[in-house]
Amino acid sequence: MHARRAKMSFIKNAKEIFQQNIREFGMYIALLVIMATFTIATKGVFISSRNISNLMNQTGYIVVLAVGMTLVIIIRHIDLSVGYLSGFLGAVAAIAMVSWHLPVYATIPLIMGFGVLAGLVTGFLVAQMKIPAFVATLAGWLGYRGALQLVTMRTGTIIIPNAAFNAICNGFIPDIPGIRILPGVHKSTLILGVLAIILFIINAIRDRRKMQTNKFKVLPINFFILKLVFVSALVGGISWVFAGYRGLPWTAVVLLIVILFYNFIMSQTVLGRHIYAVGGNPEAAELSGISVKKITYVVFCSMGMLAALSGMMFASRLQSATTTAGTLFELDAIAAAFVGGVSMSGGIGKVVGSFIGAFIMMSLTSGMNLMGIDISLQYIVRASVLAAAVVFDVAIRNREK
Amino acid sequence: MGEATPVVEMRNIKKNFGAVQALCGVDLVLHHNEVLGLVGDNAAGKSVLMKVLSGAHIPDGGEILIEGKKAHITNPGDARRMGIEMVYQDLALANNLDVAANVFMGREAVSTQLGPISIMDKHHMEQETQRLIDRLKIDISSVRLRVERLSGGQRQSVAIARATAFNSKVTIMDEPTAALSVAAIDKVLDLVRELKAQGCSIIIISHRLEDIYQVSDRMMVLRHGRKVLECPVIGDLDEFRERVVAYIIGARNDFAEKGVN
Repeated sequence: MHARRAKMSFIKNAKEIFQQNIREFGMYIALLVIMATFTIATKGVFISSRNISNLMNQTGYIVVLAVGMTLVIIIRHIDLSVGYLSGFLGAVAAIAMVSWHLPVYATIPLIMGFGVLAGLVTGFLVAQMKIPAFVATLAGWLGYRGALQLVTMRTGTIIIPNAAFNAICNGFIPDIPGIRILPGVHKSTLILGVLAIILFIINAIRDRRKMQTNKFKVLPINFFILKLVFVSALVGGISWVFAGYRGLPWTAVVLLIVILFYNFIMSQTVLGRHIYAVGGNPEAAELSGISVKKITYVVFCSMGMLAALSGMMFASRLQSATTTAGTLFELDAIAAAFVGGVSMSGGIGKVVGSFIGAFIMMSLTSGMNLMGIDISLQYIVRASVLAAAVVFDVAIRNREK
Repeated sequence: MGEATPVVEMRNIKKNFGAVQALCGVDLVLHHNEVLGLVGDNAAGKSVLMKVLSGAHIPDGGEILIEGKKAHITNPGDARRMGIEMVYQDLALANNLDVAANVFMGREAVSTQLGPISIMDKHHMEQETQRLIDRLKIDISSVRLRVERLSGGQRQSVAIARATAFNSKVTIMDEPTAALSVAAIDKVLDLVRELKAQGCSIIIISHRLEDIYQVSDRMMVLRHGRKVLECPVIGDLDEFRERVVAYIIGARNDFAEKGVN
């Protein structure tokens, strides 16, 4: 009798937790289903260490754009210019290293500074001149496309001979030499994975204690443990997969820094709260003393900076700056954000969600490529996933109201 | 009139929008711990007058005294610093944020300052919000509920709580009972009484004369940008309503000639 009641309450709790987080769970489940399907269909090639490492390197520059785009869409704008902006700034980075002979450590901050400047221009048009972001950034789309062709006109594709720069999207973190156990496995990657798990568990327990002392509702203990086990297994699994090839790609390190930083800003700081407030109700935000103009500037500048980072990552990936770099990146980033649960009506969306969204879209491409599915069908499949994700979102939100 | 200094005194306030005279020299006095009802037909100038006080409009003439001192109010921030808070008719809440986030919107508590980055003290904000809704006896199950999941009455209560959260001297409510169910209206009116019991000074704009009658100590009627009546709220409701409506629609206009009595 007692056991039965405990089981009932477990199921009831599970149902409640699932319903409260259906959107996030749905996304993770979708990603798992997609990955499992491709793993089976490709007889394990999809989940192989090598493919996942490649997938990470190919997704990186889109994820970075999607993170910036998340903020832009949260404040009810859009940025169409970032694809060619990233291509253009990638070319400028190549020129900085090849023609101006700047070292890598000077090139990266310089280009990101240019990105912020580009964001200032967009911010000026949108916040100051009150031009709809769609139009202002469409102009940017044209302009940066022209700028990219202009700077690469004389040279064509610019080969980047710098090994350190090219490592950003092709290289892996170094291993610790001289350890004999587990041959063929990347030790430093595993150690980082274990460290991450320990940090996560300590943090989660500390958070829970703090919440309890303040008498806030926390997850029931069995679910809390379940969550810890699940996340630990996930992190452990990912580190194991990376450790099986050449270790953690530098792209993953860059993404980790970008995502953790933006997640922190959006969830823990006053700036993040103000961005959500402006997205939720700009008039109310303004009446509460939040400067909508300032927030708009900040968000577009962050977008510009991330576009610069994305452009350098793509140039690093190709080890060169091409005349068509960045083509349609903006639409991939926008799609990733929407798949990741960002709402066009503003105020809703998470950075981590957009990362998962980008990963879902790129997994589809990678998996279907491995299966040899024709590109025409690939577009149609990705279209269906995008539409389904948004339909799912809208349905949940309507039900909640 | 040997009373203490009024908390708000507006003298001869004028405001034009192009050729339209929205306010043609209106006086308003609000005493400490008093509820003042402000009524009038559409476009009578009620909202404009309150927006002047809350800093959303800059008047073309006249002066404002807060606790006897001349005040320069040029934006909502100025007004708020002087303790004047307005609850807007369209609520001015962000539906995507939770109750605590809305109460503290624009005035988030900071726990750590890292250069330009301010880290929020979420626990403090949630606890303060919980204390606030307990104190005002507002019926909301959790301060972590997103505002879009609240009923109209609950939202109005959050908007009012937010306006009174930071030791404001004056709370202005623009149509706090519009678009609410009867039960929700009662709750909002209870909240107004609770605030008065706790010492707040309140100006309430409403179309619903019975609401004004229930909670106000005094009332004034505006018509075409002029004050046409100012009187204490006394007598029975029907008589009160009949008299006030006559002034609202302009059937009677003898107040200005008689002067203040």
